Amino acid sequence: MRLRLPEYFIRRHVYADVEGRAHIRPRTIYILPTAQGILFGAILFLMLLGSINYANNLGFMLTFLLAGLGVVAILHTWRNLVGLELVAGRNEPVFAGQEARFEIQLINHRESTRAGINIKLADGEPVACDLEGKSSEALTLAVQTHHRGYQPLGQFVLFTRYPMGLLHAWVYIDLDNRCLVCPAPGGRMPPAQVPDYRQCPKGDKGVGVDDFVGLRSYRVGDPIKHIHWKTLAREQGIQTKQFGGDRADRRWLDWDSLQGMDTEQRLSALCRGVLDACEKQHEYGLRLPGTEIKPNRGPVHRNNCLASLALFGESV
Amino acid sequence: MRKPLEAPLNNRELTALIILLIMTMAPHVLHLNGWISGFFIAAVFLRLVALKTPKALPGRFLLFLLTAGGLTNVLAHYPLLMGKEAGVALLTSMMGLKLLELKTRRDLFITVFLAFFTLVTLFLFRQEIALVGYVLLVAWGLGAVLVEASRSEHSANLLVPLRKSGIMLLQAVPVMIVLFVFFPRFTGPLWNLGFDSRAATAGLSDRISPGSISKLILSEEVAFRVNFEDKIPPNSNLYWRGPVLWQTDGFYWNEGPQQRPRKLKLQVAGEPVAHTVTLEPTHRRWLFALDLPQKRPPNSIHMPDFQLLNLKPLDQRIRYSLTSWTEYNTGPLQEDELQRGLQLPPNITPRMEELVAGWKAEAEGPVEIVETALKFFREQPFFYTLIPPLTLDNPADEFLFETRRGFCEHYATSFTLLMRLVGIPTRVVTGYQGGELNPMGGYLVVRQADAHAWSEVWLAGSGWVRIDPTAAVAPQRIDRSFNPNIDRSFDIGEPIKFNLKESDLVKRLVNQLRWGWDSINSSWHNWVLGYTMERQGSLMAMLGFSFLRGYKLALGMVLITATVVFGLAILLWNQTIIKTDPIQKAFLRYCKKLSRIGIVRNPWEGPRDLATRVIKLRPDLATDVARITSLYIAMRYGNEGGQQKLRRLQMQVQAFRPSRRPAG
Repeated sequence: MRLRLPEYFIRRHVYADVEGRAHIRPRTIYILPTAQGILFGAILFLMLLGSINYANNLGFMLTFLLAGLGVVAILHTWRNLVGLELVAGRNEPVFAGQEARFEIQLINHRESTRAGINIKLADGEPVACDLEGKSSEALTLAVQTHHRGYQPLGQFVLFTRYPMGLLHAWVYIDLDNRCLVCPAPGGRMPPAQVPDYRQCPKGDKGVGVDDFVGLRSYRVGDPIKHIHWKTLAREQGIQTKQFGGDRADRRWLDWDSLQGMDTEQRLSALCRGVLDACEKQHEYGLRLPGTEIKPNRGPVHRNNCLASLALFGESV
Repeated sequence: MRKPLEAPLNNRELTALIILLIMTMAPHVLHLNGWISGFFIAAVFLRLVALKTPKALPGRFLLFLLTAGGLTNVLAHYPLLMGKEAGVALLTSMMGLKLLELKTRRDLFITVFLAFFTLVTLFLFRQEIALVGYVLLVAWGLGAVLVEASRSEHSANLLVPLRKSGIMLLQAVPVMIVLFVFFPRFTGPLWNLGFDSRAATAGLSDRISPGSISKLILSEEVAFRVNFEDKIPPNSNLYWRGPVLWQTDGFYWNEGPQQRPRKLKLQVAGEPVAHTVTLEPTHRRWLFALDLPQKRPPNSIHMPDFQLLNLKPLDQRIRYSLTSWTEYNTGPLQEDELQRGLQLPPNITPRMEELVAGWKAEAEGPVEIVETALKFFREQPFFYTLIPPLTLDNPADEFLFETRRGFCEHYATSFTLLMRLVGIPTRVVTGYQGGELNPMGGYLVVRQADAHAWSEVWLAGSGWVRIDPTAAVAPQRIDRSFNPNIDRSFDIGEPIKFNLKESDLVKRLVNQLRWGWDSINSSWHNWVLGYTMERQGSLMAMLGFSFLRGYKLALGMVLITATVVFGLAILLWNQTIIKTDPIQKAFLRYCKKLSRIGIVRNPWEGPRDLATRVIKLRPDLATDVARITSLYIAMRYGNEGGQQKLRRLQMQVQAFRPSRRPAG
């Protein structure tokens, strides 16, 4: 059943609390009969008419028992949602044009099962799971992204028809979670980007991670990765591999070097530059108007660079 | 885990549903026309085959042909599609067809609802306790099918949905009881097509044959209700006069040729009994009255045999007032009465004549002959039974000399024949005997089960005198209104035993059990099947709700149902209350206090990040914040429990009172 209430009618949302968790409170739940529920009501009415006409008390009994079942189903459908906890899960940054995937953790604190829990975006397909007692499950909602910046998940609907399928109970939820959308990577950076070689302050013989230099005996604090297991296996004591070099290709990805492009094109080009540099294991820095990220390497650095590209010019 | 809303029906679900549908239809299939049942069974068979090989399911065109065939089949056997039998035949065929096109979840729902509807139609034909148990069992299963269908994945085993469905049905019981008790009962049917009602509410007819009254005796339907102005006469005087039957062909008895009304002379004695009768519609003209009615109600005729006839057939409830006398003398015999009262059928046998000749020789007058005849019934091994053996050729003869098991009409008709053979003018009177006093309403309810037949002989000096040969065989039948439901399980010809004293312990125990079961059955009949408008009224009076009448009763029903549902809601709510972790609760309180001074925690912010930010903004709070944060982190993430630590955290949060502006 597609049900969309006008915005002004929706007064009761479920929002995340300070810990980023949302609990479904009794008064935030809406409930209406499904098409099947209405059919069930119609059949009950026919049964009642028949029972009255034939003055059949057993007919009354069964009709009323099923009517009671319908009423109890209202309570159970409502109860299937009450007290359910939602937590916004992690989401990975995406590039504009990709689908942002929001993970939502559903936690059932109760002993009894909450089956048939569905979530869906206003115009999306629902995803569903059955939550056993004292368990949690993660569901993912996907949103098509178009622009860089933060993509909010926004309001979504959690609904259930369990246990009888006669009623549709739903809650509007806004967990205030968002996903970072980086600019879509553009074409290759122009060749003007001449690598800016920089000597390692400690010289080529310094300690680095690039070139194998030799072995030395193990000292406390050496990374486990660098232990030379072969010598250890030969029972020659613990030896640590030493690396040197670290004369890196170090490049600046510079806003100002990209002339004749508009802002978004430049950001796209810079994004491509970051990705390429990562791929080639180059050390790189990023210069944007008003921001400079010192050259570095690694996933944290990459994410920082992508984030500043994504959020460039946006007040966050 | 991620599945579309509509999980496809799997074989387990389909098998369960098919079994439940077979169970639903089985009681109908057993008594319906063979062609209709055959159609359904064929559909079930095809469907079961299709479980293994889905290709066996008919395609669209074939399904259309089958639908047309099924409809033709029903129309061929129930051409007008009227009455409940035809409705059930149609329902059965529809169910068979629905089975064949059971594909989506929507079909499943429609099928289950049709099954619910079918369950209610079962009660139109039979109403035993066992059937109710059976229906509840099927309803439980159907509920489980709905539960299973509303999950997003199939459950681990079928016990899971069965449990849920069972719990929900149990919770529905209080709602059902309230609705059942308070739903206003109506007096008559909403519509009457005249197809079912004539057979179902037949009541007495203008002719009887052996067995016609014993059929009525199983009906709990109310024939009429009587309000007495003064005291209610003793049960042995409660003979409710109906059609008087004069003429017989040896098998049937009927009223004979139409009589002409004439002025009635009646000498009376004793106290007059004034009463008002509320008669249910009979579609006949007879007005029942206490023997013998003297004053006729308006718009009625008093026949010479003291039968009251309304001017028009009674298609609606009617209420009329009468005065009757229980002691009377009808005076001299009329010419035509002598002729009619001695009419004999052609199938009088020699042994009947022989029997009567013996009485005639011994007795001195008609009164003695009547007594001898009653003694004959009393002393010979005659038994009073509801299900007498079939007597096809000559009912009276076979009953008198061979089977000797019969119901009131057997006794009355054979006694009448014997008296006529002697030469005493005798007639058969049908009507009702007894009645059940409604202690609340103070009125008498006479049911179809109280239908009775007796004789009247004409004796010089006394006029027509009522003789009830049944009373000679089973006096208890007259002394108290008897409950016919005891005898449903009886074998053919087994006598009804009234208050038999058994010396044998085992027999006594068996009797106890039988009476126990009988009392369950009788409460079932009285309080469930026979919960009529009257019973509802008296129950309301007993509960102190006598002001609840008509629409007020409906209103009361809604209110009480709402209360029950509210109670259920509270019960379910109690099981749902979420107990927030006290550690988290304390931390949330700390966050709330921070938000009051303008530092709102971001959803993604951990406790440590928050603390850093707070200390940066408000160095004056550093000590408190650091203490709370470290305690919280230690307890929540370090799993360091302990009531003492919790108390400390709670106290520190309690004492944390950040001022709006930094101190100093």
